Amino acid sequence: MLQIDAITKTYQGTPAVRDASFTVARGELVCLLGPSGCGKSTLLRIISGLTDCDSGSVRIEGVDMTATQANRRPTAMVFQSHALWSHMSVAQNVGFGLRVRGLPKAEIAAKTAAVLDLVGLQAFAKRLPAELSGGQAQRVALARCLVVEPKVLLMDEPFSALDAHLRKGLREELKALQGRLDLTTIFVTHDQEEAMELADRIVVMQGGRVEQVGPPGVLYQNPSTLGVAQFIGAMNTCTTTLRQGAADWYGLDLRLPLPDGEVALLCRPEDVYPDAKGAAARVTRVIDLGPVTKVTLMTEAGDLLTWTCPRDQAPDLGRVLTLLPRRLHAFRNGALIGLAQSPLPAQTAGAPA
Amino acid sequence: MPDVAKPSGGVAPGYTLSTGLGSQALAGLALVALPVGLLVTLTLLPTVRMVAATFLVEGHLSAERYFAFFNDAYTMANLRYTLEMGLVSAIAALSVSFGIALYLRFSAGRIATMIHGLSLFPLFVPSIIISYALVRFLGPNGLFQLLLEQVGFTQYRTPYLTPVGPFLAFLWENIPLPVLVLSAGLSQVSDHAVEAARDLGAKAPRILWEILLPQMRRSLLIAFALIFMGIIGAFTVPYMLGPPAPEMMSVFMQRTLGNLHDPASAQVQAVVLMVISSIVGGFYIATMAKSSAGAR
Repeated sequence: MLQIDAITKTYQGTPAVRDASFTVARGELVCLLGPSGCGKSTLLRIISGLTDCDSGSVRIEGVDMTATQANRRPTAMVFQSHALWSHMSVAQNVGFGLRVRGLPKAEIAAKTAAVLDLVGLQAFAKRLPAELSGGQAQRVALARCLVVEPKVLLMDEPFSALDAHLRKGLREELKALQGRLDLTTIFVTHDQEEAMELADRIVVMQGGRVEQVGPPGVLYQNPSTLGVAQFIGAMNTCTTTLRQGAADWYGLDLRLPLPDGEVALLCRPEDVYPDAKGAAARVTRVIDLGPVTKVTLMTEAGDLLTWTCPRDQAPDLGRVLTLLPRRLHAFRNGALIGLAQSPLPAQTAGAPA
Repeated sequence: MPDVAKPSGGVAPGYTLSTGLGSQALAGLALVALPVGLLVTLTLLPTVRMVAATFLVEGHLSAERYFAFFNDAYTMANLRYTLEMGLVSAIAALSVSFGIALYLRFSAGRIATMIHGLSLFPLFVPSIIISYALVRFLGPNGLFQLLLEQVGFTQYRTPYLTPVGPFLAFLWENIPLPVLVLSAGLSQVSDHAVEAARDLGAKAPRILWEILLPQMRRSLLIAFALIFMGIIGAFTVPYMLGPPAPEMMSVFMQRTLGNLHDPASAQVQAVVLMVISSIVGGFYIATMAKSSAGAR
C-alpha cells in the first residue's frame, strides 16, 4: 500500500531524516516511534506532502507521490494540536474536505452525520471547537480525516496533549475503529507503551534513521541495535570487555562465545533471576507496582541493577541477593552481536574459560 | 460538656479583616486620576460646550445650523468626498497591508525581514514630509515625470491637486499600522490550521477565503476603523496634495474658521465629523471588547 524508499531530508545542513525506508501493508497500523527530534514527524509530513524531501520516494498503491502536492495526495493527517478551525462548527469542520471536493450539500450532510456517529459525536455537530473537551476535539479531528476516506491515515502524536486516562481510552477506540474500517494508518508517537499497544508493526527511529522495523513483541524480545534495546522497555546495561570468551557481568565471570573486545551486555529486569551462582547485589529499593515488584539492587562495584519479580518473591531492603541473567543481548558498536539464553554458564573467578 | 469559647464579636478570634482591597482600589483610582482629569477638562468639557453652542442661535435652542449644513450642496459634497476618500483609502491600505502581513506570516529570511522593515518605515515619517516628497516626486516636473520623459512618455498628468494625490499619500501613510494589527491577528492562526486545510485538498484561494479571512475578521475591522478615523480627520495630506474643490472636511473646517471667519459653521462641521468618527470609534471599541471577552 505505502512504500517509503530511501527518504532523506536536511534542514540547513542538519539531517532530519536519513535514508529511511519501510513499507506499510493495506489495513496495517504502523507506529513511528522514537525520542523527540528523531525525525519521525518530519517523515510523516513528507508522506503527507506538507514537507518536501531532498531525495527518496513515497509511493501509495504503486503510484509515485513524491512530487505530488499535499492537497492532491490520498492521505489525511490528524495533528497533535487537533488544528480545528475555531470559527466553524463541528459539522462544518468535518464537512470541509467534502466541500473542497465539490460534493452536493445533501451528500456532505449525510456523510458528516455518519462519520460523527462513528466517533460518537453526532450530538455535538453544532458546537464550536471551543466548546469541546480535548478528547472530543481530537475525535472531531479524526472524523474530519475519516470523512474524506483517505487511503492512508496519518496521525502525528494525536493524543500526547491529553491526560493518561483519556489517552488510554482513545487508543482503544482508535484501534477498534481502525480495525473495523481496515484503514491503513501511520501513527507517530514517542510513547513506547502507546506504540506497543496500538501497532501491528513499529518503526523505531533514532537520529533520523530507521533503526528497526517489526512487530512490538519482536522489537522487545530481539532488538537489533543498542538504541532500540535501550528505547523499548527497561534494560540493565553492563559495559564490559570480553576476553577469551569470558565477560565480567557485575563482578561475575560469564562464559560468552563471542569475539573479544568491548561489549555492552543488556538484560531486561524480568530476565534476571536469583541463583546461588549469581552476582551479589544488595537490595536498595523495592517498589510495589501492583502485579509485579520492581527491585533495585547495588552491586559490589556500585552499579545499579533492576529486577522485576512476582509480588510474593519481593525481598526485604538491605538483603544481599545473587542474581543471574536469563537472556543477555550483547552489542558492539551499537549493533547486536549475540543473544545468550539461560542457563548462562557462570564460572568461578580466576577459572579458565 | 466541654467549654466552648464564644467569640466576642462577629469575627472569630484570631482572624482580622483585611482592608488591602480597599486601599488597592484607591491606589488604582489615584493612578488614573490624572489622565481621566485631563480627558474631562481638556476634551470632554470643551466638546460638550461646543456641541451645546451649535444648538444655540441668538440665545434660543435651534437646529438651524444643522439644517443649513445638510442643505448646502458644497458642504455635502465635501462631506461625501471626505467619506469616500476615507473608505477607498482605508480599503486600499487594508488590502495592501493584508497582502504584506500574509507574506510576512508565511515567509522567513532576509527578504521577509527587509519587507517588514520597509512596511513599517512610513510610521516614522511625518505627514508633512510624505506630502512634500510626493509633491516633488509626482508633481509637475517632478522626478516621476522626468523619468517618464526619459523613456519617451510625454503625456503624464500629475495626480497632484487631484483626489489621487491624497489617496496615494494616505495609502503610503496607512500601511504600517494595519500591517502590525493584521500580523498580530495572523499569528493567532496556527500553521497546523492552514496545513490541515491543505492536507484535506484546499488550494490557496479557499484557504484564504474560508480559513484565514474568517479568523482575521476582528483584526480587519479594528484596522479598518483605525485607518478610516485617521483619514477623515487628517489635515496635512489633503491640505498639501488635495484638489481645491471638493475639500476634505478638515481643510474645509480650517478655511471656514480662518478665511471665512465663521466659527459657528466650523463648529457644526466639527460636530458632524465627530459624530461619524464616534460611530466608527464605538464600533472599534465594541470589536475590541468582544476580542477581550473571547480571549478570557
